[in-house]
Amino acid sequence: MENHSSIVVLIPARNEESTVGDVVRKIYAELHCEVVVIDDVSDDSTVEAAISAGATVLPLSVHLGAWGAIQTGLRYALTEGCQIAVTMDADGQHPASGIHDLVATVESGQADMVIGACIQRGSRARHVAWMIFRQISGISLEDLTSGFRAYNRTAMTLLASRRATLLDYQDMGVLILLRRAGLRVVERQVEMCPRKSGTSRIFDSWWVVFKYMLASSILCLAKR
Amino acid sequence: MIASYKWVSSILGLLIAGVILTLVRRDYLHTRYAIWWLCIAIGVLVLGVFPGLVDLVGSPFGVHYPPILLVILCLGLVLIKMLTMDLERSRHERELRRLAQRLALLESLKGKEADRIEKSTHQKQLF
Repeated sequence: MENHSSIVVLIPARNEESTVGDVVRKIYAELHCEVVVIDDVSDDSTVEAAISAGATVLPLSVHLGAWGAIQTGLRYALTEGCQIAVTMDADGQHPASGIHDLVATVESGQADMVIGACIQRGSRARHVAWMIFRQISGISLEDLTSGFRAYNRTAMTLLASRRATLLDYQDMGVLILLRRAGLRVVERQVEMCPRKSGTSRIFDSWWVVFKYMLASSILCLAKR
Repeated sequence: MIASYKWVSSILGLLIAGVILTLVRRDYLHTRYAIWWLCIAIGVLVLGVFPGLVDLVGSPFGVHYPPILLVILCLGLVLIKMLTMDLERSRHERELRRLAQRLALLESLKGKEADRIEKSTHQKQLF
């Protein structure tokens, strides 16, 4: 088992009591590193499940959303002196085995941020959204919304800063910010498992999709 | 004898100024925002006492009905005010998020038995 004391795995979670424990345990089985679950004001027993699985929990007092939770984790990682941060979803979609590839890509210096991509997943709506954003932002990555990523310290520092605080989603705003700072982003193919519980937070309601598309489009246009 | 409408607007202007100063005194209104409102109060006072000012400004611009300038100006000021309020809210949103994040870092719970017990008893004393 590889020992990476300077790696931390960040898992933003909101009401994922049924899957978060397994996700944490599987990561511990794969590699020796700290696992941090950022609890976005869950009203079930997500926090307890994460703690009993052995994770560190950062309990948010205000609902910040996925990106706010990830940024909390990045700030924690920076204060703990970690060199690499990996983000994963709490619903079991991202395989712990995929972490090695992402970490290796960052460690080798190929990129400042690596996205674990799986374009086979996702509804038509998601694919259409990707296509639209590729057009208006000029970013040519395939899987723009994957939450399975690894960041090096340079990327972490930029994304933990005040400039990145008002981003509501981790997708376009983050990618555009990285591009403007001249940081390198690459994609690595990973196998993703079907969601064990729940549905997409964004792509299962037309109103939420509309707000997401509008907000992200404005960011693409304003921050190009 | 000053015309009655001038009395009304002068009193109105002074009333607005008085309300604003009272709100500041009682800590309901931050002095930053009071400046804007006091300027409004002065504007009401001045335009009330010298309504001819509107005609003075309107004629060189070829406005047929000068009072409409006043309406347009007021609408413009309202829009500016709303925009500055949104800018301020955005700033507050950023601060609030960062504050919540720092608090979460401070209140971190470790997944080990001893630490958890220690943290949970410690947490009972926090507000």
